[in-house]
Amino acid sequence: MVDRLQTPDLKQIDSINFVAPEIRTEFPIPFFVQKQVPNATSRIELYFNAGSTNGKIGLASLVSGLLLSGTDNMNSTEIHTELDNLGGFHDISLGHESVVVSLYGLNDKLAELLVLFCQSISAVTFSESEIQELKEDRKQKLRINMQKVSFLAQREFSKNLFANSQYGRVINEDNYDSITRKEIIDFHKAFYLSGLFKVVLIGSFQEETIVSMEDLLIPFVNNLALEYNQNLQNIPGVFHTEKEGALQTAIRVGRILFNRKKEDFVDFTILNTILGDYFGSRLMSNLREDKGFTYGVGSMLSEFHETGYFLIATEVGKEHKDAAIAEIRAEIEKLHHELIPAEELNLVRNYLLGQLLKSADGPYAMTDLYVGVQAFGLDISFYDRYIKKIHEITPEKIQLLAKTYLDWSQMTIVSAG
Amino acid sequence: MIEFERFELDNGLKVIFHKDITTPMAVVNTLYDVGARDESEEKTGFAHLFEHLMFGGSINIPDFDAPLQRAGGESNAFTSNDITNYYDVLPAQNLDTALWLESDRMLSLAFTDKSLEVQRQVVIEEFKQRYLNQPYGDVWLELRPLAYKKHPYKWATIGKDIKHIQDAKMEDVKAFFQKYYHPGNAILCVAGNFEFSYIKERVEYWFGNIPGKLKPARILPSEPIQKEFRELTLERNVPANAFYYAFKMASRKTMEYYVSDMISDALGREKSSRLYIRLKKELNLVSEIGAYITGSLDDGLLMISGKLNDGVSFEQVDVEIWKIIDEFVSREMSVVELERLNIKIRTAREFQDQGLLNRAMNLCHFELLGDAAGINEDLMVYQSITPKQMSTLGKSILKKKNCSVLRIKSTK
Repeated sequence: MVDRLQTPDLKQIDSINFVAPEIRTEFPIPFFVQKQVPNATSRIELYFNAGSTNGKIGLASLVSGLLLSGTDNMNSTEIHTELDNLGGFHDISLGHESVVVSLYGLNDKLAELLVLFCQSISAVTFSESEIQELKEDRKQKLRINMQKVSFLAQREFSKNLFANSQYGRVINEDNYDSITRKEIIDFHKAFYLSGLFKVVLIGSFQEETIVSMEDLLIPFVNNLALEYNQNLQNIPGVFHTEKEGALQTAIRVGRILFNRKKEDFVDFTILNTILGDYFGSRLMSNLREDKGFTYGVGSMLSEFHETGYFLIATEVGKEHKDAAIAEIRAEIEKLHHELIPAEELNLVRNYLLGQLLKSADGPYAMTDLYVGVQAFGLDISFYDRYIKKIHEITPEKIQLLAKTYLDWSQMTIVSAG
Repeated sequence: MIEFERFELDNGLKVIFHKDITTPMAVVNTLYDVGARDESEEKTGFAHLFEHLMFGGSINIPDFDAPLQRAGGESNAFTSNDITNYYDVLPAQNLDTALWLESDRMLSLAFTDKSLEVQRQVVIEEFKQRYLNQPYGDVWLELRPLAYKKHPYKWATIGKDIKHIQDAKMEDVKAFFQKYYHPGNAILCVAGNFEFSYIKERVEYWFGNIPGKLKPARILPSEPIQKEFRELTLERNVPANAFYYAFKMASRKTMEYYVSDMISDALGREKSSRLYIRLKKELNLVSEIGAYITGSLDDGLLMISGKLNDGVSFEQVDVEIWKIIDEFVSREMSVVELERLNIKIRTAREFQDQGLLNRAMNLCHFELLGDAAGINEDLMVYQSITPKQMSTLGKSILKKKNCSVLRIKSTK
């Protein structure tokens, strides 16, 4: 007979077998290789010091969008056709502090793909017609985004979260118009032609192939000091952007906090999970599963090189805006006033360990985990400490962190709708 | 090559086991053979609302998610016009927890009024967030009834009207469960580093005593062959004019399905595709353009969609699209182009197959189509396609009489 009332026994995760990638010690910048890939896939990631805080507003975005726009020998269509002939996929991701150019392909094609990529990026001519086309595309996309309450809220949030810094700049259509070809060329020269500061290669490759890739990448190596903002400050307060006819209101609540270099980071991650970072979190249980105000609500801790920020985000029915903000506040303050029940903390512990196991599953995930700590000058032992801290955290510590870091009066609270 | 083993319980549950010795995780994927196409026209959005209720507690377990999270796992689901698919991903050593939870909700739900009331509200907010409060968000709500006149693909998974969600009653919920949620209408896949005999024993233990029922018969109105060009222009408060061309194409289990998929790749998958090169790069008429297929099990749609640049008319783009189609069907493509399409398909597939969850979902999907082994034959079907097959099929589907066009005109 099946006993369905009896919960199956659980086995805890005590340790995870983390494997760091190899480091190419001869290469002048960090170059990591993960060769243990049990299939024909491969990926190379190139990190450039070309993030959006550099230069005029919108400039970094345009340059990142023009990297494959053509050289004297090949126009943009010819470049993309050749990439497709080799079965390559790519992604160019612009962040505040860097640009990551990712190239995906079968491992017997990746070296050829990289040759094409490097040639295209280094010899790009930035023709006026390509620049103009991209400006128009970006302006149309911006006009469409300006109709989304989530975008409007994020914009207002960024302005006040990263107040008075390059991080908090928001773009308008005429910013694109004011950017000149010369500015684009100069930016490209400074931040791409000598802006490569990290390489991550995954795939089953022979030594000679890796050496050939190194030779291709050497000319791009960064020669600037990497400097990042350490003093971001948010403006606490309540901000609203009106959007006529909106059926929902987007809400953002957050503040500047810290990144994983700070001692409290892991413990705060546990607190963040309890509050809003999994399906059973307090915010989800309250705003969605109890009240039906929203399709989803979540919180996160996002990191920069020298700092980080905490964010709660949701879209709620227009009529629920004030009630939703009141409930978010109530959930935060409940963490100040009441100790978390042992059973809930135990669940979150197990959940986080299971998720860590999952995020270390396979060569890609494992390498990403490693790169995620290396950027902060840490090594893979960070995750052993992470597991230890998860086991050791107490309800009292959670309460102390909530009181210290989640003070409503220090929050930037934004709504759009 | 994706290896798997298969067995069936006496109650009709089909089970697939996929072994992967490299992972510490396990996946339990459950596909129920029910989607929005099985709804009645007066009660649309029901399959999807029901998916939400599946997380609201089952007969012996008040909360679905908490025990799974306590086991280090997490779960989610999706509903399409064809199927409803649930998945749990958790550390392999706690597999039993997922089987316990999935089998209990297959046995029976708790059917609490609170769950129905709350999920009704949640789905209404989802309706707003994804379809009503987004620029171009209602396109598929409008396009489906234009392209389909009889087949239930004429409504979207979310439902054709919020009112249908508001009116859902507990008796409807129970009837839906009785009809569709039982072993005979489900396919289960367990993936991870296990022995087959162990999986057989555990699945038998948890699912074996759920009463079997006959698979419900599916008799859907078939969509009559389209005989006329259809068009609809809607005015919306959006910044740019947008267009959506929908061509009818064959169902999933046909060779034509694969050929149509490849035709859409050639027309508009990448920046080396015909529509992108001509309409965007050479003529600068559009800001974005693409072609793709809906991938549905019954007769589907091959789509061409995009947005106009300022100052460009719908007519200009229309003329050029038909010129490209005409060229496509009247001249066979080169081997170089065909190989380009194939290597992209193969590369994308290699990356997809890396994920354990993806493999488990796909095994269930192919088993639903008739045989899980199809997962290993798919790629060969694409590779067998000839230029002649593409131009011949192109001729029969890429024509005005088989096309419905929706235009979203900016009121700005």
